[in-house]
Amino acid sequence: MRIKRFSALDRVFHLFLILTFLIQTATGFSRLFFPTEWGKTLNAVFGGYESSILIHKWVGILMIWGFIFHTLYLITRIDWKNLGNSIFGPDSLVPNIHDVKHFRQRLRWFFGMGPRPRLGRWAYWEKFDYWAVYWGLPLLAVTGVMMMYPVFTSRYIPGWTLNVAALLHRAEAILAVSYIFIVHFYVGHLRPSSFPMNEAMFAGSVSVEELAEEKPAWLEQLQNEGKIKTAKAKTPPLLYRVIYFIFGYAALGLGVYLLINSIVYSRYITLH
Amino acid sequence: MQTYTCISKAMAWVFFMTLPASVLFPVLCFGRGEEVTSFINRYKQYEVSTGYYETYEMRPRHESPLVSRFRGRDRDPFGYTSTSASVRNRHLLSDSHRGIKFYDNSRCEMCHANETRDIHTVRANLTCRQCHGAEPIASIDHYYSPLNPIRRHAYVCSKCHEGASASFASYVIHEPAAGSADSKTQFPALFYAYWFMLILLAGTLAFFIPHSIMMGVRELFGKSKDR
Ligand code: HEC
Ligand code: HEC
Ligand code: HEC
Repeated sequence: MRIKRFSALDRVFHLFLILTFLIQTATGFSRLFFPTEWGKTLNAVFGGYESSILIHKWVGILMIWGFIFHTLYLITRIDWKNLGNSIFGPDSLVPNIHDVKHFRQRLRWFFGMGPRPRLGRWAYWEKFDYWAVYWGLPLLAVTGVMMMYPVFTSRYIPGWTLNVAALLHRAEAILAVSYIFIVHFYVGHLRPSSFPMNEAMFAGSVSVEELAEEKPAWLEQLQNEGKIKTAKAKTPPLLYRVIYFIFGYAALGLGVYLLINSIVYSRYITLH
Repeated sequence: MQTYTCISKAMAWVFFMTLPASVLFPVLCFGRGEEVTSFINRYKQYEVSTGYYETYEMRPRHESPLVSRFRGRDRDPFGYTSTSASVRNRHLLSDSHRGIKFYDNSRCEMCHANETRDIHTVRANLTCRQCHGAEPIASIDHYYSPLNPIRRHAYVCSKCHEGASASFASYVIHEPAAGSADSKTQFPALFYAYWFMLILLAGTLAFFIPHSIMMGVRELFGKSKDR
């Protein structure tokens, strides 16, 4: 039996983020690494320095709209009559006191000094994943738009903020890229319980056995609330699985390729 | 191209209203448009608003050809000239390189290595002279230098960046290396932004990489009942 974990819309947002993030990384790195050989190759893929930045700008705008729509969607998901529970309850992504407790338990478990924490719907690192994007994206967006219209921007704020904006944009991008391509990819693909691929975000559902092991508190909550019947989901069809495996590995490969090359060539560039 | 600019400008507008960018970057120039601003500001804004650059100019006081800051009493004594003739005359510039041996046969980057790391030189492939001009090359503090802050936007930046304002020209072209001790004194905002982001990056990875590795190790080797 499988339990539904992500709605179709959640998965579309995630897919959107994969595609835009990879394009932004490739075009952004093609710019950052432009003084190096690899950067020039990457630029050539996108049709040169000029068009690669054009793609970067348009996809950036797309991401900004994605962010705005996602925020609107978030607002619609708030249960206003039951505000406290909908923000700090077990189904919410907002960090709460249980996360601290779970983290402490997990540290003890790492060293065999205690039982595994009984995680609910969202583990604390999953919440971190979510909020890292949520604050990172606006920072990239603000600094990106500033640099996109430097003359326009400097009409409202002093021009030297563009130096700071450029630095923040690059540093935040590097932070996001290294987090996603190292930690997030590891958790999604390489981690023993997910290997070869954690399918939840593509299939939209997880098996009950996996849940009982990974997220026992959520399973319990579903049973208590009597939602387990409605949360049942079908096994994804084979063809669909094949497609998202191929897609997932293509994204993984591209990410690792960009990561390794950027580390190799990082000696030759500066952040400004 | 026109529609592209229009659409994306409109988006930028919507965006600027959506996100309180001005909170992130404290505004120093809100007073600019007011009627009673400083003399220098009025002059700069006049150029920007009319779009006529280099039509009006100011002359220095007689004592000093070097102008680096406009504070206190230094601000008042400039007079307008209706033609910029005296300012455009390069003979008035003093030569920073006078008396330097072998200058004629050298390239700028041989002596000014630090100034070659900026975005304009590295990425946009500008030559030094596109900004610093022909001989003689004066210090940017020299009154008549085209790169003097009072007219940099009009004489240099707006050649390529249409509509460049004085505020735009306060962008630091040769910025000090972001995390260095130099930047702490010359450009503190850059310095702190750099270290803040670096510590954030190091902290995030230092936390999550061991965390993920431990998770993997435990899942591989832990007893299955407490896996
Ligand atoms: C032979 C070495 C050499 C070469 C070549 C050279 N410079 Fe200089 N430059 C100097 C020295 C020395 C100074 C004086 C520095 C000082 O007074 O602090 C100077 C001063 C300057 C200044 C004024 C700096 C200040 O602090 O006032 C500018 C601007 C400048 N050079 C630009 C250039 C440009 C542009 C070129 C290439 C066209 C160039 N230089 C080529 C050695 C050189
Ligand atoms: C985009 C225009 C631009 C280009 C290109 C440029 N500079 Fe500059 N340069 C400036 C400005 C503006 C300043 C004032 C300080 C600042 O903003 O960093 C400056 C300052 C300097 C100074 C210090 C002058 C002083 O009085 O303190 C030197 C030296 C210098 N530049 C050398 C060079 C050399 C060498 C190159 C070529 C590799 C070069 N610049 C290219 C705009 C430019
Ligand atoms: C000869 C043409 C030219 C002149 C003069 C010039 N610029 Fe630029 N500038 C460029 C080009 C080309 C780019 C785009 C660089 C790129 O895309 O990598 C650029 C980019 C910029 C950017 C965006 C940097 C970023 O982080 O993306 C700023 C800010 C800027 N210039 C400021 C100035 C200022 C201030 C001056 C006057 C001192 C100036 N420029 C003079 C050609 C010029």
